[in-house]
Amino acid sequence: MMGNTTRKRAILASALLALTGLFASALPAQAAEVGVTAKEIKLGITSPLSGRAAAVYGKVPGAMDAYFKHVNANGGVYGRSIKLISKDDAYLPTSAVAQTNQLILKDKVFAIVGALGTANHLAALRSTNLSGRGIPDLFVNTGFSAFADPAKYKTTFAVLPSYRMEAKIMAKYIKDNLANKKIALIVQDDDFGIDAAAGFTQAGLTFEKTIKFPAGKDTAADAQGWITNTLKPANIDLAIIFATTSTTAALLGTAAALAYRPTNGWMLGSVGGDSNTLIAGKVPLAILNGAIGFNFAPDPQDPTDEYVAEFKKIYAKYVPGSTFDLTVIQGMNSAMLTVQALRAAGTNPTRKGLIAAIKAKGSTFAHAGFTPLNYSNSSHVGYNGYWIGKYSATGALLPIDGKRTIYTTDSGSGAVKVITSARPKLPKDGLPTNK
Amino acid sequence: MLKLINTILIGLSTGAIYSLMSISLVLVWRSTRVINFAQAGQAVFSTYIAYEVALRTGNFWLALLCAVLSGAILGAFVDFFFMRTLFKRVTSGPIRAIAPVVATLGLLGIIRSAVGYIWGVEVKSIPAPASTDGIKIGSDVLPFSTYDALVLLIVFVVLMILTFIFQRTTLGLSLKASAFSPEIARLSGVRVDLTRTVGWAIAGACGAIAGVLATPNSLLSPNSLDILLVLGFAAAVIGGLESMLGAVVGGLILGLGVTFIANYVGSTLVFLSAFVFLIIILLVRPSGIISGKRSRNA
Amino acid sequence: MPKKLKTRLSLFILLGWALLLLGDRVDELRVYQGASIAIYAIAIGSIVLLTGYSGQISLGHGALMAVGGYVAALASVEFGIPFWAGFILAALISGIFGGLLGIAAARLSGPYLAGTTLALAVGLPSLANQFPILGGEQGLYFDIGMPPQQLGESFTQYKWFYWIAALAALIVFFLLSNLLSSRYGRTWRGIGSNETAIALSGSNPQRLKIVAFALSSALAGLSGALLVMTISTASPSAFPLALSLSVVTGAVIAGVSSLKGVIFGSVILVAIPEIADAISHRVGDTLRISSTLPGLLISILLVFAVLVTPNGPGENLRHLLHKGKSHK
Repeated sequence: MMGNTTRKRAILASALLALTGLFASALPAQAAEVGVTAKEIKLGITSPLSGRAAAVYGKVPGAMDAYFKHVNANGGVYGRSIKLISKDDAYLPTSAVAQTNQLILKDKVFAIVGALGTANHLAALRSTNLSGRGIPDLFVNTGFSAFADPAKYKTTFAVLPSYRMEAKIMAKYIKDNLANKKIALIVQDDDFGIDAAAGFTQAGLTFEKTIKFPAGKDTAADAQGWITNTLKPANIDLAIIFATTSTTAALLGTAAALAYRPTNGWMLGSVGGDSNTLIAGKVPLAILNGAIGFNFAPDPQDPTDEYVAEFKKIYAKYVPGSTFDLTVIQGMNSAMLTVQALRAAGTNPTRKGLIAAIKAKGSTFAHAGFTPLNYSNSSHVGYNGYWIGKYSATGALLPIDGKRTIYTTDSGSGAVKVITSARPKLPKDGLPTNK
Repeated sequence: MLKLINTILIGLSTGAIYSLMSISLVLVWRSTRVINFAQAGQAVFSTYIAYEVALRTGNFWLALLCAVLSGAILGAFVDFFFMRTLFKRVTSGPIRAIAPVVATLGLLGIIRSAVGYIWGVEVKSIPAPASTDGIKIGSDVLPFSTYDALVLLIVFVVLMILTFIFQRTTLGLSLKASAFSPEIARLSGVRVDLTRTVGWAIAGACGAIAGVLATPNSLLSPNSLDILLVLGFAAAVIGGLESMLGAVVGGLILGLGVTFIANYVGSTLVFLSAFVFLIIILLVRPSGIISGKRSRNA
Repeated sequence: MPKKLKTRLSLFILLGWALLLLGDRVDELRVYQGASIAIYAIAIGSIVLLTGYSGQISLGHGALMAVGGYVAALASVEFGIPFWAGFILAALISGIFGGLLGIAAARLSGPYLAGTTLALAVGLPSLANQFPILGGEQGLYFDIGMPPQQLGESFTQYKWFYWIAALAALIVFFLLSNLLSSRYGRTWRGIGSNETAIALSGSNPQRLKIVAFALSSALAGLSGALLVMTISTASPSAFPLALSLSVVTGAVIAGVSSLKGVIFGSVILVAIPEIADAISHRVGDTLRISSTLPGLLISILLVFAVLVTPNGPGENLRHLLHKGKSHK
């Protein structure tokens, strides 16, 4: 009896619920594109604002926002101001997925820009299916080469050169300048490192010693072990550090304490090569001096560079008191690319239009990098190379022998080429006027 | 041989810092029956105070002193305003085991957010008062530095002071008495509540010293002492939770173990082996290496 | 079938029906959060079972969730086992692992067990870096595939996740509630409060504790496998110490002495970041505020919950309801 009445009630209740469900789903279709109103374009970013990674990467959203504010103060994009919604993922994949969902489903952003961290964004990208939903995923802040694969991720655009490209260019430089030297590679044991290792293999460079270490563990004790047990006994000539800034700092700091230097010094990968962050991480300038470094953008200490001067001015105005470093330049540069992409998408931007605009015109955008941008119908690769420099006594990365040689390549089997830069001129006041 | 000596020396100086953190947890545990996770927050706050003082005066010793004071004040504050309220409200049953854990975790979150708000997330550093360059032996450079030696010395002095307090002063006697049998202590005229707050203050000071000493060899951020807390706790568990001697021994064992594994096996396994180590020790002696004077079924 | 079992079964079927309809009514974000709530409910349930019913404590359940997550991902990536079988396997293997751990755990009292499990939570995920088959820091890509065609065009991936997670939670809680109301379950309950009495009544408290640990680990493993499903990736950073601690937090908010509060605890765990975010946007939007305020609010709420309602708001609510009933 009891069961019977319950069942009747259940049927009644479910019928009622189903009915309301039917009406709720019959809402009118949306008129305008998601995240775009007459006055505003909403963009979203996930990055670590708390936790361990925040110290280095937490500046990206602030840098991007500073540039957007500068554009907004000068009329915005066709009258619309840009609103950047920044979410903290604490550098955890689970949070990155949850926060990306918030951005897409609750804040209803037009596009994701500058998402940070390979593992985190990979999880977010897969779980939220940005590609299938047609949500633009612009200028991701990682050099993992798969992000630039339009067959896999239709709406994702890379901006940083891939780790694989960097490894190939390192190999080329070593073969040309440091042939027959004993080289050691210290590399993070994840996709970041695997990508790099693939590049070295591609270029046919072999190592005397390879040290692989897990991400996130960078105690001074480890670094001591690497130096005393591996590098020193093998009489290494050149040690390549392909690691994040914190690990690079720990290793160089320990090397300084042990008064150790490979015969031909150190070579720092671009990810861990931001001298400002290294110096803040207590790496003595003396050990940095003379190390070989890679960068696609201008050095933050370069006073003659027009982009650096303008970005520095804008950053100081909107984020007073914060150090201007390479992370900031990259963030502001991506923001500048975003503004141009939005302009190129026209006065009534759609997600589809935005993606088409980057494919069609992305390679003509103004930007701070010395290598060209490679966006095209078939390519989602941003920068495809580096210029090589040596760190000065003040920690600035300066072109070797005063001449900026620019190397480009691809993430596949293509050769490494030397090119001459034809960087687009900075638009007046840093405000793009492209169409 | 040099590698072995170095590993032992580095192990001892890291272990010495774990010992201090471990002592601060043991002091709180035996008087209050709470594992104080907020200690990582209290210590990080005090270390930031030390950072500020060091930045302004350039004097490491003054910075350390200020950190000790702020650590003690914060410790007393937490007990007075927080733990007393908690224990008035928490009843018995299974919740008694985890409510304090969750409460101190919450407190840790509050302190950490406050620190993040005041000082931002950019890393800070405190310059070491002695050279962090390795000591030279002949043509070889030992990774063990003058600063590491100084850490050992400071921890030794702190331990001597603590021993003096606990063995030779009335305060120490009251602390011990109210920890082990609060009722009898109360009957013999000890102000148990006040004594407990003093115990929290001493624990806070020890945590602060551990935080300040650990920082010149690494960097300071709102999260930078979390691992120290976990290892300090592991050391306390190895040592048996009730005795300060156990805390020191546990800290040194763990410091040596971790350094040996990092130098000889590989750094990936450090935390996992700390766990295996813990399990083995506890399987042999379920209440730690050094047993206290009463059973620990609490 | 006994009458009590029958009514309980129909109650769960009714609940399942309501959840199913609810999934059709709310928007995509809520559907996703619904899946998260179901997953947290299972994880919190595993703690309640352990702490509330057998008096043990664990600060390392995130590690057991990792075991389950990796088993499910490996089963699918390496052996091509269908995902549902992978979930069952995940629960099974975590259960066995937990049973072994439980043998050690049963010998340890409160703080020692807390310390050991804490070390486990910090240490175990790093094992993934040691074996290439576990995919290192990047982890394993776990894809359960698109929802079956029969469910229709508009049936989204998230709704599929939600269905799977909610169904798993319903089955788990149905089985648990039956187990706990059985005589075996009632004996269990005694361990937490009076071990000696249990021993006198002829049961072996040590063995009961080990079984509780194994069962709790199996549940944690299942929730870990489901978690990995929703983020498509099993990686070490998906199981940080914070996960272990937040599950314990959820259990405290839910009230550890009864399974009935778990849903309350899991809803709060999922909702808090969003609420905190909303408040921080209202208070001010500077980077410094928005990056510290959510953490601060969560912590304050936590401390407040423990200070004001140390036995969990869920418990208080239940007392209130009971009072209401008895006054009737």
